[in-house]
Amino acid sequence: MTLTAGIDVGTGAVKVAIMQDDRLLAQYLERIRRRDVMEVVEESFDASLRQSGLRRDQLDYIGTTGEGDQVPWRTGHFYGMTTHARGALYLEPEARGAVDIGALHTRAMRFDANGRVLQYQMTSQCASGSGQFLENIARYLGVSIEEIGSLSLKGDDPEKCSSICAVLAETDVINMVSRGINTPNILRGIHNSMALRVTGLIRAIKVEGLLLMTGGLASDAGLVAAIEEKLKDGAANLTVRSHELSVHAGAIGAALWGAYRHQKLAGRKENHAGA
Amino acid sequence: MTTATEQSKVDALVSRAQALYEDVSFESVRRWKGQAECRKAIGFLPIYAPREVIHAAGALPVGILGGGDQLEIVRGDSFFQSYICHLPRSVVEMAVSGRLDTMDGFLFPSICDVIRNLSGMFQMLLAGKYVHYLDLPQNFDSELGGEFYRTELHAIADAVGALTGTRVTDARLHGSIALYNQNRRAIHDLLQLRREQPWLVPTTEYYLLLRAGYLLPVDQHTALIDEYLQAVPHAGRRPLDNIRVLIRGAFCEQPPLALLRTLERAGCYVVDDDFVLGSRFIPGPLDETGDPWTALVEGFTRHSVSTASKYDEANTKGEDLVSLVREVRADGVLLMAPSFCDPALLDQPMLQSALDKAGIPFTSFKYSEDTGQFQVIREQAGTFADAIKLWGKA
Repeated sequence: MTLTAGIDVGTGAVKVAIMQDDRLLAQYLERIRRRDVMEVVEESFDASLRQSGLRRDQLDYIGTTGEGDQVPWRTGHFYGMTTHARGALYLEPEARGAVDIGALHTRAMRFDANGRVLQYQMTSQCASGSGQFLENIARYLGVSIEEIGSLSLKGDDPEKCSSICAVLAETDVINMVSRGINTPNILRGIHNSMALRVTGLIRAIKVEGLLLMTGGLASDAGLVAAIEEKLKDGAANLTVRSHELSVHAGAIGAALWGAYRHQKLAGRKENHAGA
Repeated sequence: MTTATEQSKVDALVSRAQALYEDVSFESVRRWKGQAECRKAIGFLPIYAPREVIHAAGALPVGILGGGDQLEIVRGDSFFQSYICHLPRSVVEMAVSGRLDTMDGFLFPSICDVIRNLSGMFQMLLAGKYVHYLDLPQNFDSELGGEFYRTELHAIADAVGALTGTRVTDARLHGSIALYNQNRRAIHDLLQLRREQPWLVPTTEYYLLLRAGYLLPVDQHTALIDEYLQAVPHAGRRPLDNIRVLIRGAFCEQPPLALLRTLERAGCYVVDDDFVLGSRFIPGPLDETGDPWTALVEGFTRHSVSTASKYDEANTKGEDLVSLVREVRADGVLLMAPSFCDPALLDQPMLQSALDKAGIPFTSFKYSEDTGQFQVIREQAGTFADAIKLWGKA
């Protein structure tokens, strides 16, 4: 039996997964909200341990990902691409691709049946098409983050806006509000522009079959619908899906790779002992 | 002694080294010179300069490794084309801004054409100061390159001796060699500890300790490392599940500290490198019993390390690297060269081919001393570490 934890420190939230072999015992998410990140990590980790009924010293491996390389008590760190691929495979064993849309970055990856990343693409440093950008837009429009998806689905005449630059897109939105465009159509326009960027990444990695959306925006039904819509042209062999635990994919992946590393290192110790 | 006490000792030693690293105006050298009359300081550029000779002449050898990411280049850029590396720009900036005024002379060891030209610029910029282009031999026969080098050593001894008023006698040179041998032993112990237990010696701390040796008098530097070596095993540091990497290419223009931190955070323990290479260019002790000039000549021609700026007569650089990877049990190699560094970049295909043939994973990237954005390198090092941990032999 291997007990592991995965900690995904994102720009907007900290996610923790506790696993016993490949069984998810607990998952926890806490938004950072301008607090000290390490404090949020400690709180989230303790909360997830309480949920799972485990103590820290019972864990065989604490794997981190994202900005988790700052966690001093980690056992090891894995790169975000590696952990999201593994987490996506865990949540959807048929998936061969994932697109992780977080607070600041979007990245698409293609992987094999073992979770090995074969190809990836990611956005540059511009925040356009990311969660933080969408949060800013929601604030301008006076809607909550949770409402964004359902409101966007109601849009029947979406407005076009910039898909290149978050600053330009925000200016576009201010103009739309002053022109009297209704909120659903603004949000759907935003989702469409984000989807254009995301599908560019997805097409570049040449994934077929099932692609799982991970990261915080995987739960945004409006964005998922916009991506599906955009992929209809020229991506007939691709199905996009989201999972209720999609936001935890990175943390789950870190915990699973941690278990793999624990076993690999233990095996090496045994070999040395036997030699 | 408690773990916290030992950790605070380590912190204090590293802080001292960091303060020296940040001293791009060489205030520490100015203070050292102010402690006694007639003290002289001789600056030397990468990679290797015979510090024993400078020391025996009564001067302080001071390594000049550029301004790193702490110096804004205002005038330095106007001296070089855009396809020239960054180090000479910041060295010129230091010179024209008066930061090098405390130096009484300069040695420019042969590395590449850029450094050769820089020595010419210094002769014009700092007219009247002692500026010597140290033409290190590329022939390693004792009778040929060795004799040539012996002449160079004597020329330096005479010139620096004339500045200080101290003649370099065999006895003085013996004494200096003995002090630098103690320093070699301390650096060797530091390297060994890092190789065996890399979690005890983070790359940034190791780097700062080496850099301190380019400013401190040699005996003080040896003491600094020895104190660190005594304290750090008891500082309560624990291992992480990182891969072990060897770095090649950073022998001249130095990587910024934040880059080293980035590599470690990305999951790489650096177990061998060529940073601050002049401090261990001749790794083993020099002979302390025979003719001291011969000891220096033999040290350079027979026992100095293999690097890009040194002619490889036997064409074994690739094989040497593969052997070293195995000796230090590195899981992979980071070929990390400064942008536009001809010696490092021209060596890379040879090294890559040898690594490929031996099945040793490697990745390569470029930096400059003032690089401030590390996201791409972080991704590259992170995926490299993951690939080795999950799919490789580590």
